[in-house]
Amino acid sequence: MNESSLGAIFLDSLLINNFVLSVFLGICPFIGVSNKFETAWRMGVSVIFVILVSSVLAFGTNLLLINFHAEYLRIITYIVIIASTVQLVEMFIKKTSPALFRALGIYLPLITTNCAVLGVALFQTARNYSFAQSVVFALGSSMGFTLALVIMAIIRERLELSDIPGTAKGTALVLMIAGTLSLAFMGFAGMGGGG
Amino acid sequence: MAHAHGNAPSPSESMEAFLNGLWKQNPVFVQVLGMCPTLAVTNSARNAAAMGLATIFVLVCSNTLISLVRKLVQKQVRIATYILIIATFVTMVDYIIKAVSVDVYKALGPFIALIVVNCIILGRAEAFASKNSVGKSILDGLGMGLGFAIALFCLGGVREILGAGTLFGVSLFGPNFQPWVLFLLPSGGFFTLAGWLLIFTWWKERKKRMAEAQQ
Amino acid sequence: MNQAAPQNMPSSAKLIQLMGTVSLVCGLLIVSTHQATLAPIRANQETIMRQTVAELLPGANKQITYGVDGSGNLTVLQGVDAPGPKLFAGYDASGKLIGVVLEGADRGYADVIRAMYSYSLEKQAIIGFKVTELKETPGLGDKIVTDPKFLANFKELDASLKNRIVTVKSGTKKNKWEIDAISGATISSRAVGRLIDKSAKEMIPIIQRNRQRIEGGN
Repeated sequence: MNESSLGAIFLDSLLINNFVLSVFLGICPFIGVSNKFETAWRMGVSVIFVILVSSVLAFGTNLLLINFHAEYLRIITYIVIIASTVQLVEMFIKKTSPALFRALGIYLPLITTNCAVLGVALFQTARNYSFAQSVVFALGSSMGFTLALVIMAIIRERLELSDIPGTAKGTALVLMIAGTLSLAFMGFAGMGGGG
Repeated sequence: MAHAHGNAPSPSESMEAFLNGLWKQNPVFVQVLGMCPTLAVTNSARNAAAMGLATIFVLVCSNTLISLVRKLVQKQVRIATYILIIATFVTMVDYIIKAVSVDVYKALGPFIALIVVNCIILGRAEAFASKNSVGKSILDGLGMGLGFAIALFCLGGVREILGAGTLFGVSLFGPNFQPWVLFLLPSGGFFTLAGWLLIFTWWKERKKRMAEAQQ
Repeated sequence: MNQAAPQNMPSSAKLIQLMGTVSLVCGLLIVSTHQATLAPIRANQETIMRQTVAELLPGANKQITYGVDGSGNLTVLQGVDAPGPKLFAGYDASGKLIGVVLEGADRGYADVIRAMYSYSLEKQAIIGFKVTELKETPGLGDKIVTDPKFLANFKELDASLKNRIVTVKSGTKKNKWEIDAISGATISSRAVGRLIDKSAKEMIPIIQRNRQRIEGGN
């Protein structure tokens, strides 16, 4: 059992150990869909949704796996859960809110290969989080992902107007900004200690 | 593309499948795929090498099996089948690393399991192994895997040398070296990869310019 | 995918058959790897644990691992992979108890720090300390692993539990139960103080209660 308080877990996953900037999860969408604020925001919201649902499902499944002493099936079951969660969420949104579905569009299926989703499920198991802790952790880390994505999108929108040498344009530039952001986020680290 | 007649791939074609991933289509430096493990486990040369080997294993095995069953798998369930096969080999590599070295297992942590969502592997399954013979798929897996491992090693080596003054744990500069700790931090990963990408783009542009000048 | 089925859609039975076969093969592969690696993994973990205990209790050439249950009773464990708190007792060549190694964990600067430390019943003090898991900032927080001045705190740290074990600001250690922090790594040093305090408060009374049994080595 892990004794971290819910507040500490939330802060930790949102800022201190930000999934994108310090744990390096979900880098592909972070580079791929961070060129426009609108798309980044939509991607972020869909990821929060999927991570929350798959975290809850993964928690339940893990209990089952432990019950049957089948921990070696963990990776396989988690990836299946995530793939089906993405499909379910897609169908659910399509039925309930066609407007939202049109807005999220192609971003939903892309989430299956977002390692942040599997990362949340694996970390919450490795750290022995309780149900409440898992949900808070899922919420914090997915919001942290969205935060990093949105910040990056805002910076990139501004940079479109500036004069950058051709060689540095594209991924290299994004990585350099990410490095600077990551340094900035390190400043949050002390917040979790002492408590 | 050379057209090979008969079933056995010609030597030049096999060579091409192998070299493609190693250099022309390097998964990290050219295709910019599989970024998460590239950045996360490259704070030392040893971790980078271990991750590279694990990925080569999974890539070669999954390419082989997927190519073997490629004629049986229906289109509707192919992605599900591929993911199942990849996850199997990842679970195996997870246990094998744990049995070989607890230190490496601790250092790589959940990133071994996360090989499942490394887009390179599913990408090769879909783009190559599902359409080509077993032999060629193995070569493609080896080439892509090696290309990935070399890229990881380029990052891990630079980060360890600058950030700790060592390579594979062996001290290079003596005790008076003041390590550049930034390179071991997460931001160092971003900066190092950005540096490599800059070098690659610059080199490609130079080659293009030279080709144009020759004309 | 689930609407407007094309004409050449294969039957569901066929798809299920295929998925079933693939799953069967995958299951076989996973289970056989799991079975094959079970013994080496357990042996690895045990070797590492034994090495750490030997390092923390120099001269120990016999070790016994005890598991502690909820009501504070001890059971002798064969492996080291059982869940729950554990004690590792180390004995010298003549079978005399040197000390007991305990585990602790607390949140540091970046992530949880795990450590093991050795406790001497005779001296009622902590006589050794080793970090087993840490992800602190390189160059700052990771000094708690290597800094010789910091490690000197654990040569004889009072653990009679009359006073709380606590980390104090760098250079202000006055009492035997205080840990001198590393300047520049205060948060990581404090985490070390907390993890020892927490685990010592819980485990040392249990050790004292079972002293005869541990000394007898049964």
